[in-house]
Amino acid sequence: MSKRSDESAIWTILGYLLSGLLFWGGVGYFADRFFNTSYLTLVGILMGMGGGLYLVWLRFGR
Amino acid sequence: MRALSVFSAKGDEFVPPSSVDFVLPPIFENIPFITKPILLVLLSVLLVSLFFSLSARKAAVVPSKFQFAGELVYGFVRKDLGQEILGHDFKRFMPYLFSLFTFILTNNIFGIVPFLQFPSFSRISFAYVLGIITFGVFHYVGIRKQGIKKYVKDIMFMPGVPKPVYILLTPIEIATFLVVRPLTLSLRLFANMFAGHLLLMIFILGGEHLLQGAIAMKAVGFFAFGMGIALTFFEFLVQCLQAYIFTLLTALYIAGGLADEH
Amino acid sequence: MTGTLNLVGYGLAAIGPGLAVGMIFAAYINGVARQPEARSVLQPIAFLGFAMAEALALFGLVLAFVL
Repeated sequence: MSKRSDESAIWTILGYLLSGLLFWGGVGYFADRFFNTSYLTLVGILMGMGGGLYLVWLRFGR
Repeated sequence: MRALSVFSAKGDEFVPPSSVDFVLPPIFENIPFITKPILLVLLSVLLVSLFFSLSARKAAVVPSKFQFAGELVYGFVRKDLGQEILGHDFKRFMPYLFSLFTFILTNNIFGIVPFLQFPSFSRISFAYVLGIITFGVFHYVGIRKQGIKKYVKDIMFMPGVPKPVYILLTPIEIATFLVVRPLTLSLRLFANMFAGHLLLMIFILGGEHLLQGAIAMKAVGFFAFGMGIALTFFEFLVQCLQAYIFTLLTALYIAGGLADEH
Repeated sequence: MTGTLNLVGYGLAAIGPGLAVGMIFAAYINGVARQPEARSVLQPIAFLGFAMAEALALFGLVLAFVL
């Protein structure tokens, strides 16, 4: 790739983290409302962030 | 304290500008969709096409000043955004990249041109439309180049991961490529234009209001006005930068679709 | 004035990651400027550090809305 690949990589990283949070956090939030619990949102957020970080490591860290 | 009491005794309290100021009323009463941003966008299309068709019409080996200005902008986009990122196949995308860059740049600079003074992209729908067009372009290019099966597989399944982890990762990848990328692209442009315009409004309207106050207020008002002028130049920088970044990221996404590896 | 203290808290919480991202890229640029051939070694480290710092900022953002 060109030497501009850094700039796109940074936005890609941000996109991964953001979509991981939003997707799994959203799943956790609606699961919370469905089951009338309160901890699933937190589990979802942590899971999404973990998945996002794992994707970043897979794509840029190896 | 005395100044403040004089100030409020006048009865005209300062109303800070807010997002309400971005919703402009229609220019003609009975046609609801003709507003200032629409007219500005149309004006920008007119300006850009007129400028570049005029500067390219009498193209000569020894360029006139007019032609030189046009070629300077085109050369910048071609070399910096086209050739360097997209490689040897860049000519196919030059019309899109170039019109995107000039269109966004003109519309942004309307934010600081006297009497126009409204960046059209501080209305989010314009930014969304550009995001959707870019989204269509880079997915279309990727699918044409690699075939739909391979393209979708490349997006959805990162190699070298145990199978159960795909349940965690595949939704994130799909959300990134289908939702977050075009969304952040348009939101970045919108947010910069919106915040910049709001900032200028606060300093200039507030400065004007302070200048009408007591003598101590006037000194602060001068300072606020000076900040407003300085920030206008700063805004010019931000506006050029945002046009550049939007085009740069479009080119980079297209290059990502063209590249064989993920 | 109306509003929620969550947003003030988020503003404070964003200072740390902001500083962190700045320092990470300052170090990365410094390293690459001194020794351009080290770029391929430094790049993954810089990006992972950026991701970690950014993750904290995004946590703050989400928690400001959720809590």
